[in-house]
Amino acid sequence: MKERPATVFVVDDDDAVRTSLRLLLKSVGLPVETHASAQDFLDGHDAERPGCLVLDIRMPGMSGLELQEHLNRVHSMIPIVFITGHGDVPMAVEAMQHGAVDFIQKPFRDQDLIDRINQALEKDQQNRDGLRERDVIRARMETLTPREREVLDLVTRGKANKVIAGDLDVSQRTVEIHRARVMEKMGASSLAHLVRMVIEAGRDH
Amino acid sequence: MTQAANDLQAVLDAAVDAVIVIDHRGQISTFNHAAERLFGYAAAEAIGLNIAALMAEPHGVSHDNYVRSYLETGRARIIGVGREVWAKRRDGSLFPVALSVGQIHGEEPPRFVGFIHDVTLRRAATEALRRERDRAQHYLDLVEVMLLAVDLRGSITLINRKGEEIIGRTADELVGHDWFEQCIPEEDRLEQRRRFEASLADPRGAPAHFETTIVTQGGQRKLIAWNVTTLRDDQGMVIGQLSSGEDVTERRRAEAALQRSEALLRSAQSIAHLGTYEINLSTDQVAWSTQMYEILGRSASEQPLKFEAFVRECVHPDDRVRFEREWRLFRESTGRLDVEMRIVRPDGAVRFVNALAAVQRRPDAWAVITGTLHDVTERQLAEQDARLGQERLTHVARLSTMGEMATGLAHEINQPLTAIATYAQAGVRLMDAPGGADLVELREVLVQITNQSLRAGEVIRRLRAFVKHKGSKAETLQINDLVEDVRVLAETDARLHDIRILLDLAPDLPTIVADSVQLQQVMLNLVRNAIDALNEKPDAPRRVTIRTYHIEDGIEVEVIDRAHGIADHVAANLFNPFYTTKQNGTGLGLAISRSIITAHKGKLGHRQTPGGGTTFYFTLPLVQGERR
Repeated sequence: MKERPATVFVVDDDDAVRTSLRLLLKSVGLPVETHASAQDFLDGHDAERPGCLVLDIRMPGMSGLELQEHLNRVHSMIPIVFITGHGDVPMAVEAMQHGAVDFIQKPFRDQDLIDRINQALEKDQQNRDGLRERDVIRARMETLTPREREVLDLVTRGKANKVIAGDLDVSQRTVEIHRARVMEKMGASSLAHLVRMVIEAGRDH
Repeated sequence: MTQAANDLQAVLDAAVDAVIVIDHRGQISTFNHAAERLFGYAAAEAIGLNIAALMAEPHGVSHDNYVRSYLETGRARIIGVGREVWAKRRDGSLFPVALSVGQIHGEEPPRFVGFIHDVTLRRAATEALRRERDRAQHYLDLVEVMLLAVDLRGSITLINRKGEEIIGRTADELVGHDWFEQCIPEEDRLEQRRRFEASLADPRGAPAHFETTIVTQGGQRKLIAWNVTTLRDDQGMVIGQLSSGEDVTERRRAEAALQRSEALLRSAQSIAHLGTYEINLSTDQVAWSTQMYEILGRSASEQPLKFEAFVRECVHPDDRVRFEREWRLFRESTGRLDVEMRIVRPDGAVRFVNALAAVQRRPDAWAVITGTLHDVTERQLAEQDARLGQERLTHVARLSTMGEMATGLAHEINQPLTAIATYAQAGVRLMDAPGGADLVELREVLVQITNQSLRAGEVIRRLRAFVKHKGSKAETLQINDLVEDVRVLAETDARLHDIRILLDLAPDLPTIVADSVQLQQVMLNLVRNAIDALNEKPDAPRRVTIRTYHIEDGIEVEVIDRAHGIADHVAANLFNPFYTTKQNGTGLGLAISRSIITAHKGKLGHRQTPGGGTTFYFTLPLVQGERR
């Protein structure tokens, strides 16, 4: 489901850099929003809006790294492309370790930047898609009875029906019935599919 | 018997000595011709007189007693002995005589015969001899030299009063004792005795002159200058030596002191590169000290140059007119010369000298010009070196400041470059877009590119001016313009630390004459210090203020922060080179800043910012004095 179009949020304290970036991104048809400071960005930011951040790593007030830290703390998943000066490689490495998509040194080739921005937007889309799939799986899991949850748990740990029957102190036949119900309720086509869904649901918990 | 009587009479008459015969009462019975001559009595007058009449008191009165005593005791005081007594002439005058008395045996009562010899002349001769001897001794004693005679073994046979005085012992204590044992220091004894023996053995026996050390009674050492001659007896045999010695201890000491002080003066002049000269105004004679020759690069064997020749041959051509003018002023009115000039040595070397002179009137009434020539070349060169060194150091400090600011500066240049690249690439994309570019938009892109290029160029220009400039040069400038430039440079740093640089500039400040780059360096240094201080106190207001204002006869610039202020122990060392509180500080910033401001005849200091923090300030005078 494609809702609102993804936006490139540019945060840089330098007027000229900011303005030129807006012009460049507009010229390739990307929606752009520019902010002169991290605080300015945060003040008007809606986490639901898809997009990515193009962030200057050095800025007065809240620096790029500090903004990244803040976003991580509030579980924002917006992908970040850092733009850095020549001497800022150690800072850029730190930013990568904290989950940035990439960094690019000023001045840059327009295509390099655009490629990274597209990667970041894709990542954002994936994040959001993933989020939706997880929501479906979790909703399906909500429909399982406690006994079915137990069987799901043991099956996805790779235990054979006979073993599960012993663990739950029921007949092997009863386990087979529960297992069929679980497969059906979860919409799983195979055991492998079921395992993948359980892993996906467990993410970020 | 008659013949015997005649013979006796002849003997009596011919006798040179007076012969008088008396009886036991002293009455004269015989009185010969010589007695008549001697005493002034005729024989007829004398015969019958008592002998006492011929004798001077007290002998005259006592004579009777003598005779009586002799007769009673048989003990003679005079008989057969002879003695000298005083006799009395007829006219009462006294004269010395040698008297001998004999008894005429076989007669009773006994009679006596006396032989009387006038010793007046002998007495006088003896007296003269004695006086002569006394006078000689007197001379010996009077001379202000020590006279010493020794025999062949070296024993003292004579020493005069001066000798006693010098040695501190009497002649009695010395005569008969060995000279070398008594008076020569032990360590010299052997050598001195050898010399003594050698000179005795020298057949020529020529007078010798030498100096030796002697030891006095008090253990003191004295230096004696000797003149020695050999003593010989009538046969010409060597019997000893006579030496006259003079105590030259003081003189040698004074001479040594004089030599020392002359040597001291010479070496002082040499060390100080100070030559002295003297011009006798009556005779036109010139004298130069050793160092004077050294300074002028001339051989000490040359004659000192007279004034005109000195000017012609020694004074640097470019300084000649000035020196002669100064000299004329000195001679005609001021009476004092103090001039710095260059001299040229014969080998072409140029030296800087300071020439001083004054006229002095000597006790001998000749007026002389006394002067000094001080070679200040090394000092001049050292001053030049120091100035160059200071400039080099200032420059290095500036480079090091730039190094520290490199990150910020790179950022500052990279920003416009980034904008330029981005604008240009956007422009290309706009042109490539279907339907072509919007020309208005494209124009705006180009304008922006231009602006950003200029912006980058401006940073580089300021940077180059700041770093490249090496010497110092004075120019007329407006301090507020410099402050603006400093802000641009300092902001690169400040922005990284989220610090703002505020300006509070007084309008209409008078211009000053100064070295703009050096003043920027000072201000940049102060601003960067303020930034560092603020970084150590995160809760302080994030701003540095540069303020300019007019003060009486000058302007003042303040760099104000609200950080932690300066602790007393830091303040005490603040301007000392290499003192730093920063981990990577050189400790040169403030030291160099102060020397720059001092060179501009201003003051650099600091005070507390009202409400906390530090305010560094410097002043600059309006009318700059002559600067090198």
